[in-house]
Amino acid sequence: MSMGASAPIRRSFDRALFAILCLGLLLVLILVALLPWQGPYWAVLLLFPINVLVYLGAGLLAWHYRPSNRMGALILLTGVWVFLGGAANTDVPALVWLGTIASSMPLAGFVHLLLAFPKGRVRGTIARATVALAYATSIVLEAPRYLFIPDPTAPGLAIVDAPELARWGNIAQELVGFLVLMSTLLVLVRRLRRASTAERRVLVPLYGYGIAAVVVLLFASRLLRPVFGWAPTDVAALQLLMFCGVPIAFALGILRGGVARTGELEELGVWLGEAGNTKPAIGAALARTLGDPTLEVWFWVPGRDGYVDMDGAPVTADRQHTGRGLEPVELDGRRIGAISCDIALMDEPDLVRTAGRVVAIALDRERLIAELLASHRALQSSRERLVQVADGERRRIAQDLHDGLQVQLVLLALEAQQLANAGGVGGAVRERATVLRKGIDAAAADLREVVHAVMPAALTQRGLSAAAEDLVDRMPVPTTLTLDVVDNECPPVVESTAYFVVAEALANAVKHADAGAIAVLLRRQDDVLHVEVRDDGDGGARAGAGSGLTGMAERVEALGGAVRITSADGHGTTIRAEIPCVS
Amino acid sequence: MRVVIGEDEALLRRGLELMLGDAGFDVVAVAGDATELEAAVAEHRPALAVTDIRMPPSYTDEGLLAALRIRTQFPQTAVVVLSQHVQRRYAVELLSDQTGGIGYLLKQRIADVDEFLGDLRRVAEGGTAIDPDVVAVMVSRARRSNVAVGALTPRQQEVLGLMAEGRSNASIAARLFLTEKAVVQHASRIYDALSLPVDSDAHRRVLAVLQHLNRD
Repeated sequence: MSMGASAPIRRSFDRALFAILCLGLLLVLILVALLPWQGPYWAVLLLFPINVLVYLGAGLLAWHYRPSNRMGALILLTGVWVFLGGAANTDVPALVWLGTIASSMPLAGFVHLLLAFPKGRVRGTIARATVALAYATSIVLEAPRYLFIPDPTAPGLAIVDAPELARWGNIAQELVGFLVLMSTLLVLVRRLRRASTAERRVLVPLYGYGIAAVVVLLFASRLLRPVFGWAPTDVAALQLLMFCGVPIAFALGILRGGVARTGELEELGVWLGEAGNTKPAIGAALARTLGDPTLEVWFWVPGRDGYVDMDGAPVTADRQHTGRGLEPVELDGRRIGAISCDIALMDEPDLVRTAGRVVAIALDRERLIAELLASHRALQSSRERLVQVADGERRRIAQDLHDGLQVQLVLLALEAQQLANAGGVGGAVRERATVLRKGIDAAAADLREVVHAVMPAALTQRGLSAAAEDLVDRMPVPTTLTLDVVDNECPPVVESTAYFVVAEALANAVKHADAGAIAVLLRRQDDVLHVEVRDDGDGGARAGAGSGLTGMAERVEALGGAVRITSADGHGTTIRAEIPCVS
Repeated sequence: MRVVIGEDEALLRRGLELMLGDAGFDVVAVAGDATELEAAVAEHRPALAVTDIRMPPSYTDEGLLAALRIRTQFPQTAVVVLSQHVQRRYAVELLSDQTGGIGYLLKQRIADVDEFLGDLRRVAEGGTAIDPDVVAVMVSRARRSNVAVGALTPRQQEVLGLMAEGRSNASIAARLFLTEKAVVQHASRIYDALSLPVDSDAHRRVLAVLQHLNRD
């Protein structure tokens, strides 16, 4: 899929992201230009632009691939707070002001990210209150630090020199911060308990890392410095390193399941409109578009009140209730299918719903095609069964006649002859009994022909080549037979169908074409039985209605084969049949 | 003459048994399938085995295969194979060992009792009895593909067919309302036309005729 003129919204969105990238890079350059690299802490300072770059990259990637997910925007916003934290270390008073005021904002950012994961929106009262409290702590309770302690690097920011007030403010901030931390933990633990095992595998490390970042931000300076004797720069370095991991963790978290781009729904629609028969299944297209490789598309089967998957297998109830999301797809108010996808993505139901609407018509078309194919298959197999049943019936009739009537006729004729031969009967009776015996013999001969026409003994006893040989032996015109088949390699119904093709074609050549020479070829090549009967007769044979050739062609077609008749007037007739021989 | 019968159809088996018994044959065993038949032949070593071609368990051509094995293992036992439908391929297979003592007849021929008994006796003596239906197929096929056969007069072709059936000159003469001498003359012209070797043995001459008719 290429980004064509079909996605103007997508294009302008990409342009906006590009603008953010440029702005972000500009900010990084400003930071690099203004930070005091001559000082002893240049290595720690270096972590600021690196952090900003990481937030910028991770945020943009997440936003690009998940346009409707706000996590990318949140990562970028948190990146702004980190930038300001770096700006506080420059010599530009305005930047130092901003940086000082925003120095605790990353705390609120982390809490916000944690509670907004995975869709970027904060749900639930406690969670919302916690985020609000986190911002309040970072903005309001940070104020005493700079309002009541004059800082020479940010002149004019302090309003009064009251270190005691600042200390109380600091304590209040840590207390409220602890409260925010606890509340966040509470919400996250509750969410973990509701999550599936698969989701926990993503959530636990992510939450763990987020919480660790918050803890380090809040308490590192209180714990590490006095208790473990860390230098302030070491604590700052640890904090900045922790910060660095946050955007990476969250970006990975929402991009898991592939790096497909969302927001290409219009493009998907255009593609569906022009797609030919060679397109992959809709499910695959949607999975790619929505970036969820586990996505499946199911069809609704009204008759059975349930779904079937793309392969036509019924979707069992436990497959429907695995904690995955299920978005029904409707067309004109009728349910035609559903999209089953990862629950994390389902937190954006609008997106899946929109996708469902876009693919509804295509899905219905695919469903109809599937139904058509299924009924075609059913028709084909029922035709095949009919031919098989008819074939079986022919065999049974031939056998019944053989075992019943033919034996009866032998015995009757024998009795008549024995009557004729018996001593003590008059000449007239003797003669009439002999005539009777001959009459029965004639009836038996007729019956033999009937039985032979129904199902020749050679076919059931030996197979196609023996039966074809018998046919050719009895031809009144010179007929050659080329055999390249092994008897009984093909199913009986295929052999008998091939036999009747030869019989019908030979009868046709003799009766209608006035042929002088005929050539019969039987060859099995790969899994196809080829039958060819060629004569040098008048030509002009047509598989018209009612002709034996039509019935023969229908039998062959019912077995998935084909018959071709080449018969130009005056140029002989060639009848070719190809019958699949799958044993 | 000691005979073994192989026929799965009970009524027909019984009918054959009675008919052969009445005609003075000594029916030493009857069998319902090919395995029983071969066992009976091995046990009684009869002069003749009469068998249906299609018997249990597969109801295909086990009678024919049994006949071929019997001819190989017990050359003293002649075999007559009966079938509802006769075809050239089976006749050719039965005649392949060129030793005679083989019959291949439509089942319906049983009813023409005298003719049938004559065929049985001839086969038991080392002759052949090939059904007129098969011979007709052989002759008409040879007439189209074999110049020498095609060049024979209609009457000679008629004599050729009766010879192929395995009949004696006397029998042919009676059938065609000819003198036996006339038949001999026809026969010798046929041998000349088909370049068949002169052989004093009547059975071997028949085999040579059949072989000539069935060459490709």
